[in-house]
Amino acid sequence: MYVLLAPGLLYFIIFKYVPMWGVLLAFKDYQPFLGFFQSEWVGLEHFRVFFTNPEFDMLLVNTLLLSLYNLIFFFPAPILLALLLNEIRIALFKRTIQTLVYVPHFISMVIVASLTYVLLTTENGIVNELIYQQTGEKIDFLTSPDWFRPLIIIQTIWKECGWGTIIFLAALAGVDPEQYEAAIMDGANRWRQTWHITLPSIRSTIIILLILRMGDVLDNGFEQIYLLLNPLNRSVAEVFDTYVYMVGITQGAFSYSTAVGLFKSIVGLILVMGANWLAKRFGQSGLY
Amino acid sequence: MSKKYRTLPGTLFDVSNYLFLSLYGLVAILPFIYIIAGSFASDAELTERAVFLIPKTFTTAAYEYIFSTNIILRSVWVSVYVTVVGTLFNLVFTVTMAYPLARRVLPGRNLILNLVIFSMLFGGGMIPTFLVVRELNLLDSLWALIIPGAISAFNLIIVKNFFQELPPELEEAARIDGCTELGLLWRIVLPLSKPVLATFALFYAVGHWNNFFSALLYINDPEKWPLQVMLRQIVMLSQAAAGDLSSMDPSFVKPPDQSIKMAVIVIGTIPILLVYPFLQKHFAKGVLIGSVKG
Amino acid sequence: MKREKKVKKGLLIASMAFLIAIVLAGCGSKESGENAPASSQQPQSSSSAEQSPLELDIMLPVFNANYPKDGSPVLAELEKQTNTKIHIEWVPNSSYSEKFNITLASNDLPTIMVADPKNASFVNAAKAGAFWEVGPYLKDYKNLSQANPVILSNYAIDGKTYGVYRARALGRNGINYRKDWLENVGLEPPKTIDDFYHMLKAFKENDPDQNGKDDTYGMVLVKWTGGWASGFDVIKLWFGSPNKWGLEDGKLVPEHETEGYLEALKFMRKLYEEKLINQDFAVYDSAKWIDPVVNNQAGVVVDVTDTAGRIEQKIHAALAEKNQANPDKQFVDNMIGVEGEHGLKALPTSGYANVLAIPKSAVKTEEELKRVLAFIDQTNEAEIQTLLYSGIEGVHYTLDDKGFIVPSSDAALIESEVSGLGQMLTYIPETRTLKSQKSQTALSIKTEQLQKEAEQYIVVNPAESLISKVYAQKGAQLDNIINDARINFIVGKSDEAALKAAFELWRKSGGDDYVKEMNELYAAVNN
Repeated sequence: MYVLLAPGLLYFIIFKYVPMWGVLLAFKDYQPFLGFFQSEWVGLEHFRVFFTNPEFDMLLVNTLLLSLYNLIFFFPAPILLALLLNEIRIALFKRTIQTLVYVPHFISMVIVASLTYVLLTTENGIVNELIYQQTGEKIDFLTSPDWFRPLIIIQTIWKECGWGTIIFLAALAGVDPEQYEAAIMDGANRWRQTWHITLPSIRSTIIILLILRMGDVLDNGFEQIYLLLNPLNRSVAEVFDTYVYMVGITQGAFSYSTAVGLFKSIVGLILVMGANWLAKRFGQSGLY
Repeated sequence: MSKKYRTLPGTLFDVSNYLFLSLYGLVAILPFIYIIAGSFASDAELTERAVFLIPKTFTTAAYEYIFSTNIILRSVWVSVYVTVVGTLFNLVFTVTMAYPLARRVLPGRNLILNLVIFSMLFGGGMIPTFLVVRELNLLDSLWALIIPGAISAFNLIIVKNFFQELPPELEEAARIDGCTELGLLWRIVLPLSKPVLATFALFYAVGHWNNFFSALLYINDPEKWPLQVMLRQIVMLSQAAAGDLSSMDPSFVKPPDQSIKMAVIVIGTIPILLVYPFLQKHFAKGVLIGSVKG
Repeated sequence: MKREKKVKKGLLIASMAFLIAIVLAGCGSKESGENAPASSQQPQSSSSAEQSPLELDIMLPVFNANYPKDGSPVLAELEKQTNTKIHIEWVPNSSYSEKFNITLASNDLPTIMVADPKNASFVNAAKAGAFWEVGPYLKDYKNLSQANPVILSNYAIDGKTYGVYRARALGRNGINYRKDWLENVGLEPPKTIDDFYHMLKAFKENDPDQNGKDDTYGMVLVKWTGGWASGFDVIKLWFGSPNKWGLEDGKLVPEHETEGYLEALKFMRKLYEEKLINQDFAVYDSAKWIDPVVNNQAGVVVDVTDTAGRIEQKIHAALAEKNQANPDKQFVDNMIGVEGEHGLKALPTSGYANVLAIPKSAVKTEEELKRVLAFIDQTNEAEIQTLLYSGIEGVHYTLDDKGFIVPSSDAALIESEVSGLGQMLTYIPETRTLKSQKSQTALSIKTEQLQKEAEQYIVVNPAESLISKVYAQKGAQLDNIINDARINFIVGKSDEAALKAAFELWRKSGGDDYVKEMNELYAAVNN
């Protein structure tokens, strides 16, 4: 057993724990040329600057809200899609749809953003032209703060939902067909079959993904947000990731971004452990 | 399932389900069709029309340009090599580590799992990792694209979880038959976990295929650049052309235009897209349990 | 059988991992080991023997998918002419800044490296003594001694010059417009801001493309990011706004606190209100900046003046595709700017695109430094500029009867032997390459003259070379306040009072300290 563990363990030590001294950069004013030892210790200075930033509250709220929306609207989407696909009997149709819906995962965010623009802009945007013909008005999808979060969620669902089903389909493949046959004998309809057989079989996968998802509650996917962010929706769109990037442009900011990263990691760790504890309390298997 | 299963609400559900999924499939694929169409269109058409599914003037100029530099083909080979070898490596490392960790009784297990979870959230960052890779003399070697990412903590935990879900009776039965641990893994656990292995093979393979950043950092020799780096260079030429360089450096032969960007996406995406349908047969429901029992 | 195989595989992996561990352990403490390879790797040819070729290790960004290898014909020719032995480390441009930082961190520096002198890592490394201060040496070289002092001071750090700049036209910014549209609406090229306004208005209202439809507007603006504000940065100067910092009674004043800046914003607001600029400019992608002009939707782009050439090219390509080719007609024209009460003003570029920096760890003695500088000086000779830029005559290009360059049509050859070498050219004091045949259109010739002429109208930022600590810490936040406020004002979502309130907020959020610090820095340099 331990022989089997050894290579993996070595890997984690060499490539994850040996470079781990990098987190100490958060407490230094790291300059690449000076190297780790020559760079000046600054203690908690970077954290002080980060937490006392007048925009900190806004950033925290925006980051958390976006994560919450993602959790509520995006997280269940692949599960639903997997269940719907699971109900399909024609194998060819099922495979075709599976393949089609996973294609968007491979389309880069830049392309997604430019398609979003083409569809939604007020200057001859396809969707806005339709709306204009119907109502005589146009909607500021791209600059209105009200639309920012819905747009992010829609983009995410479109891009990642099909990809997200793969892991659930793998879990569903393990379900014993005899269970369904037995259920049909008992006169269970499809809804009951789904509820009593299908869902329980992927429950532990759902829970574990949910727990792991907690780890990056403070990460919102930099590129997607950056591409949709503009001065008119900044009040809701600016999150930690985009802010740190902006700060990085004006100052080399190795240490600063490491400090912010450390903060995010600590919050993530607490949430992962908390969620795991909760799962255990409710009798689920959790991470261990 | 069997015929007697049909009911009216069931049929209604089926019809709307098929309709919904067809529509969803269409929405998912249309943008990609636009990209393919765009890769065969002229630059002038792409400037003029916002979106279209069939180009007015059909041209393969973009592809001709990309393949005019023969180095593209070599980079495809590099990418395939890294993807195949890297994925095998990932699977072996991940499975051999996940399997013992799936044993709840293994002493030290929780400590190791904690280490893994911790490393998933905390990392040293770009420069410290680079220094490790350099000290191991992996720079400019394709192994630099494989070994530093040998295990994803995220995938490891999920694979471990799947292993944990397997019915314990099977293992007990096998043990009574005199299987060793490795025999158990090879003969019982892995065949039972085919869908899981297929899934993570796909996850890892896609990761390798799309990874350009490690190559940018660790590989200086252009002979060893994977396809994604090469394609990014081609796309970048067009960005540079719009900016400062074109006016100063006319040795730019021909700044690629919009259609080349799109062709680049097509070339970079199609090969990896084809992996999934190929793996799909491993997802067929019930195949596994049946095969084990039979 | 099967099991045995598996065991073997397991052992193989285990032993490999073990090997890795040994290799790592053998390296000892990483940080302290870093210096060793760096110092031993550069066996500099003894600099006393002037005849032996100078070994150069040059780190350059590469934009192509292929590039000239060491010892390829053009490089070999360069080595021969300059008595050097050159190794080039090509770094894909998209990862250049990461690679730059890593190179600094690993302490394994080349002899010459392209560096962004405003990059914080570079600034700090230079302050810590990583690079040679070349300022005092430049006067000893034939070409480098003619370097432009304005540009030199633009990237100086605490008054010291680290690295030789790669020159770019200072007067690149101006107005590009559809010449045919202007003729169609019966106007003369604008001279004043009023004329400019009337041109935009006519482009919207008088059917400049003569298709009978109301489907055009005046000027294209693109997304403003960070401190950059597309055409506005040029337009504000027409109204007398300074370029980032103004001088009032010898004191630095931030631009947004000047009258001209406010006037310019009001002008923009008017343009937006009358729909003379694209209503979605706040989200409009800069990669598509010229598309509306090519597509007969808009008529003006305020940007670098060489844009005119690119628009012209695209219009001809589009017409050719529709079988309406009209190669002799000129559709686009450009100009430096229009005059307000303050005369003609032009926005300068920084005048350089990165510098060639010389690390002290690779070039150890002053003597070696002098040889490296002599090499850079020599690359500014006309023949060498042409060599690195266009390759070798007869191989990579031919000359037409007027002596203009006609490049080889073999793209692969040029990519693998020439492209990218131009990255090491500094063009000091000027571009001396043989001109290419393609650059001989009326528009290209005019653009070149225009950019020269614009140099006399540029508005210099008096604080360009000052490096502020407050800004390093709060710059992003401060820039956001201004950026958000001005866009909201232009699109009519806020009024003048709100704008002023935002400027006040800027002061309170650190702007006060910033202005104070900048004035202290300014006073220190100018006394």
